[in-house]
Amino acid sequence: MLNESTATELTEDYLARLDAVRPRDLPEDLDLFDEETATRGLRLNKAAYSLKEAEQRELFARDENAWMDQFGLTDKERELMRARDWIGLWRAGMSIYVMVKLSGVTGVPLPEIGRQMRESG
Amino acid sequence: MARVLGGIGASHAPSMEHVYDAGEETRRNEEWEPLFGPFQEVSEWLGELRPDRLVVIYNDHMDEFFLNAYPTFALGVADEYPIADEGFGARPFPPLPGDSRMGWHIARSLVADEFDPTICQELEVDHGVISPLPMVDFSEGDGQWRIPVVPLAVNVILHPLPTPRRCYKLGQALRRAILSYPEDLGVVVVGTGGLSHQLTGPRFGRVTPDWDQEFMRLLAEDPESLCDYKHEDLIKLGGTESVEVVNWLAMRGALPREAKPIVKAYYAHKIMGYGLEAFAAAQ
Repeated sequence: MLNESTATELTEDYLARLDAVRPRDLPEDLDLFDEETATRGLRLNKAAYSLKEAEQRELFARDENAWMDQFGLTDKERELMRARDWIGLWRAGMSIYVMVKLSGVTGVPLPEIGRQMRESG
Repeated sequence: MARVLGGIGASHAPSMEHVYDAGEETRRNEEWEPLFGPFQEVSEWLGELRPDRLVVIYNDHMDEFFLNAYPTFALGVADEYPIADEGFGARPFPPLPGDSRMGWHIARSLVADEFDPTICQELEVDHGVISPLPMVDFSEGDGQWRIPVVPLAVNVILHPLPTPRRCYKLGQALRRAILSYPEDLGVVVVGTGGLSHQLTGPRFGRVTPDWDQEFMRLLAEDPESLCDYKHEDLIKLGGTESVEVVNWLAMRGALPREAKPIVKAYYAHKIMGYGLEAFAAAQ
């Protein structure tokens, strides 16, 4: 067992170290892909990541709902997908790097996604 | 023993692939000459320098690595690296030639030096490697890559990220690895990514040319000063995705302190601050 003062010291030391890797004073309109986002977005990210595979892209084109069924998406997530709500997907934790793959299969180019992003501010 | 002949910092972006793939005329038109002209200079410089290997420090964009197991550093130890399908079908390039023996040597040397990369016997490379690489190392005449590569991937996507200082030190450890390689080979170290860009949120598309050019100046003249920047600083200065510049910093760490830029170009265009900076290391 650690005594209380040692535990406090260790906590302070941890917080000081954390300063090197955790951006903390970012403006609200700058995001990070971190614990919160990655946790929130895992299902969506798995889904869009699958589009690396040609068979998954074919399934998406043929039957989008069947494609979504594979990833245990919530109703809200399915709705965001169907609506091509790029801001919503981003806020729900989808990484831009897999969003680009989704942009490919949906035929929505990055500049259009960008326009939506800008207008969200 | 192997030698470090020089280094190249270069942006990477799908847009560069589209321009390259559209052919010579597009590459040299008014819109793209400011970027592809300098790339041609770097290509000619490399043609004279004739390095035997390229070590390419880059970041993957969820094309090889995914969130199930995301490596902080990952090193290729393969004899070839296929081109990843990023969701649109893979670009029609042959696999990049590798050098497993040098890869394993670097792995041992880095780990002995207390850097512990994920060691990859199979690795598909995405635009982090192959958007800038054809401009400096692809013979369109015979459709072949010329110089074997050793890829070294850095996590710049999933926070917590390795610090800029850690990446610079990784480059220094890479230098020790290269210099201790028993074959007499000339190596050029490439760092890809950046410069300023923001791909998410209301600031989508923002570029910051003043900071980009200051970064390139500091990289040449005072790289240690860049180690004092935190990710938070880089994000505020150049955008969320601009933290990729740590790959340039790692490249710079592999060069001698006195290395000088011999090609330096910057072009802010649309949603990217494109940079290119090639360094010669005196032998």
